[in-house]
Amino acid sequence: MMSLSRTKIIPRGSANPDVCLNAFALLKNFVHNTVGGFIGQIALHSTRETVRRGVDYSKLNDETLVRLAGREHQDALGELYDRYSRLVFSLALNTVGDHAAAEEITLDVFTRVWERAELYRPDRAKVSTWLTSITRHRSIDVLRRRGSRPEQHSIGWAEVLPDHLPSVDGPEEATELAIQRRRVRAAIAQLPPEQKQVLALAYFKGYSHREIAEALDQPLGTVKTRIRLAMQKLREMLMEEQIST
Amino acid sequence: MDTHVVDLIPGYALDCLDGDEFVRVSEHLAVCVGCQAELHSFEAVADELALAVPDADPSADLKGRLMRRVEPADPETSSQTQISWWGQLTRLMRRSTPTWGLAGLILIVALIVSNLWLWGQLSRPDAVTEPGFLQTIALTGTQVAPQATGLLVVSADGEHGTLVVDGLAPLSEQQQYQLWLIQDGQRTSGGVFSVSDEGYGSLWISSPEPLATYSAFGITIEPAGGSPGPTGDKVLGSPL
Repeated sequence: MMSLSRTKIIPRGSANPDVCLNAFALLKNFVHNTVGGFIGQIALHSTRETVRRGVDYSKLNDETLVRLAGREHQDALGELYDRYSRLVFSLALNTVGDHAAAEEITLDVFTRVWERAELYRPDRAKVSTWLTSITRHRSIDVLRRRGSRPEQHSIGWAEVLPDHLPSVDGPEEATELAIQRRRVRAAIAQLPPEQKQVLALAYFKGYSHREIAEALDQPLGTVKTRIRLAMQKLREMLMEEQIST
Repeated sequence: MDTHVVDLIPGYALDCLDGDEFVRVSEHLAVCVGCQAELHSFEAVADELALAVPDADPSADLKGRLMRRVEPADPETSSQTQISWWGQLTRLMRRSTPTWGLAGLILIVALIVSNLWLWGQLSRPDAVTEPGFLQTIALTGTQVAPQATGLLVVSADGEHGTLVVDGLAPLSEQQQYQLWLIQDGQRTSGGVFSVSDEGYGSLWISSPEPLATYSAFGITIEPAGGSPGPTGDKVLGSPL
């Protein structure tokens, strides 16, 4: 499991400490009073310049946006939000069942991108996968802290109706995402209801085999079998889709 | 005996195995390439399940809340922003293009060189005056604070200046250091300041007259906020 905490270690110079530190302290104080404002103006100018350059963030790919967000480009974070906030929020809401909590989780997820963009590994996952992974674990953490039991009516899979298919407008990633969503929804729609049910409890609520069996009052072996069959069938359908496309 | 754990791998990918099964599968995966490949294929499936959630939209103002969270104060409109110059500098360096980064680096090097030059002047007992350049005046510690040193940096036109001190003892909240500008025996306050736990402090000098018109400078310990005239111990002074 990905570690979500890390401590930064900032080395300190050690050469000739008295002279260097005294000189540095004087420099710092002097600059604070004399040129600090100047530097602040430069920073502001830089921000305005960025806007003036007219960078079209909607044309950038997800990986670039994550990198820019990590360098405190708010517009890059904003573009990521525009692309994925609906997915992140939908997943959080489906998991915790509470609009306010789902919004807090959404904020936490994108704040994490802002603060810890360096944790993203493009060789391991797409940005959308990284975001949903953070969202899922954060949502399940919230559920476990609450100690709430599953409410079967509050979880579920999207209906697959032609009128409700996601839009395919926008940049390449958005189009690809829309196609993926359609593909996965279609695959899940083909699962028997009892398999969809146990899969939802495992994925959205973070329940173990045993907890699902207790929640649904079903034999443990039955739950294990349903989950295994559901995953195998999904793998088969999704792989077939990939080969055919 | 077949020790493969293929039947449990879908549950492992979903992270829904109970403790004993989780341990057993983990141990097996560590040594079985075939089951590792199986796991990767099911992890790819698990990763995609999020795409099948029913669509829901967050509040329209959520993006604004996010932007406020990552940038708590608008630097263009808030003159009260408490971001230090050092924080602004590091943020600028992180944001900037290579050209700006290089310019910033040159600025830092120049400041370090000039500071080292100024530091060297501390050892000179007399004021240094060079026309057309910053003037510096060294302050030396009294018997009350023999380790203290100070430096007045006065602008080339003699109008404004900055005081930096080192080696002064931190004071209680009820006390502050006060700079006195001395001219013909008259002492005018140049401002009050406190020092850090390390004994460093600085002050942007507030002076009714150009600093060049004063003949000497002194620093005393006064009640917080300052006094009309010096009342406490003198800790630093310049030659008269």
